[in-house]
Amino acid sequence: METRAAAERKVYSVAEFNRRLATYVGRVRDVWVEGEISELRRSPAWGTVFLTLKDTRTGACLSLTMPRRRFDSIEPALTEGERVQANGSLSLYEARGEVSLRAGTLERVGAGDHAAALALLRRTLAAEGLFAPERKRRLPRFPRAVGLLTGVDAAARGDVVAAIATRYPAVRLVIAETRVQGPWAPGAIVTALGRLSACDGVDVVILARGGGSFEDLLPFSDERVVRAIAGCAVPVVSAVGHEQDEPLCDLAADMRAPTPTAAARLVVPDLDELRAGLGRSRQRLGAGTGRALERDRARVERSRERLAVAPRLLLERRRSALDRSAARLQALSPRATLARGYAIVRAGDAVVRDAGTVSAGGLVEIELEQGGLGARVEEVRP
Amino acid sequence: MSEPSFEELQRELDEVVARLERGDVPLDEALALWRRGEELHRACVERLDRAELEIEDLRLGDGSGRDSEPPGG
Repeated sequence: METRAAAERKVYSVAEFNRRLATYVGRVRDVWVEGEISELRRSPAWGTVFLTLKDTRTGACLSLTMPRRRFDSIEPALTEGERVQANGSLSLYEARGEVSLRAGTLERVGAGDHAAALALLRRTLAAEGLFAPERKRRLPRFPRAVGLLTGVDAAARGDVVAAIATRYPAVRLVIAETRVQGPWAPGAIVTALGRLSACDGVDVVILARGGGSFEDLLPFSDERVVRAIAGCAVPVVSAVGHEQDEPLCDLAADMRAPTPTAAARLVVPDLDELRAGLGRSRQRLGAGTGRALERDRARVERSRERLAVAPRLLLERRRSALDRSAARLQALSPRATLARGYAIVRAGDAVVRDAGTVSAGGLVEIELEQGGLGARVEEVRP
Repeated sequence: MSEPSFEELQRELDEVVARLERGDVPLDEALALWRRGEELHRACVERLDRAELEIEDLRLGDGSGRDSEPPGG
């Protein structure tokens, strides 16, 4: 092909080209386009609502704008994932050379394919018990190694590394960077998760991905990925997208974190807290030993006191035993018998027990309690 | 035998403290526990002092090559 001489070319500046292009584009009026709403951006501060219409079969996209008041008047309010037919005219944003459909009308066409499919999958997996609270596993308190699954060069990587390095560096971090977007992402995520959880020492895995559009996060709601998380050999912490996105991986994970940094905080203990705890343990150690010493000192003290009073106690015990013996002796003495009215009869030195041992007219001595009698025997009755 | 993990050391320290605090151990044993506790405490602190984050990248080799998509943001 021959190149025309530079002088003969008709050359446009970009601005001029875009201006001319705009007039062509502007001729496309009153067209109807059907697709699924994604990346809906609406702010009360803006007069225009921006969204992307997406072809669910091929993924082809078209930018669409609509005056905010018109958009807000649609009842019930449209949300991402819904299927709509849009009517309007094409316009070119000259500063960027981008075409968008300026819609005057947006009509809902049933439920969006993706959103409906996702809702169905969610119900199915929930019915299977995949999201049940009793399935959730506790995270290890001191993981030997932490697995991190994230997109290549993702900010999430830096966040997790920084959070762990400052919080608890006594750990190994095994990182698997993989595709997290596009049709191959689910398979890649499942593979990476399997490899990570099989790594020696990996006791917990963080699944991290920053925010993105509904479509960007779809791999994290893929059935294969969700099942792989539920069946993972070690607990999984999910930090995917923003809180309101709630991809299905969040429901299957053992714990969800709002950000990769928060996920890192969940999986490792805090170094400062650990140090403080160790300090407290040491104090209690000293206090416990001190108490044991104090207790034994008190015990020795008590023993000494008891030792001091022991001889006196012994003496008192002996004395009272002696008193008791004296009383018993007293009870056995003949004096006591005489006191009861008995008398002792003696003939000479011998006590008279048998009438036959004395004879009539003999002398006997009778001993009474008080005094005694000298008597002569009048009669003997043997 | 491999080196005990930080978790094992800390658990033993907690046990030693708990035994001492029950207060029913003889003095000799209490002193032995205290010595063991001090040893464990020192080992734990040393472990934390020399800790350094170790990062290891997993080569996935899944044939897909490196992800060329922009990082999620």
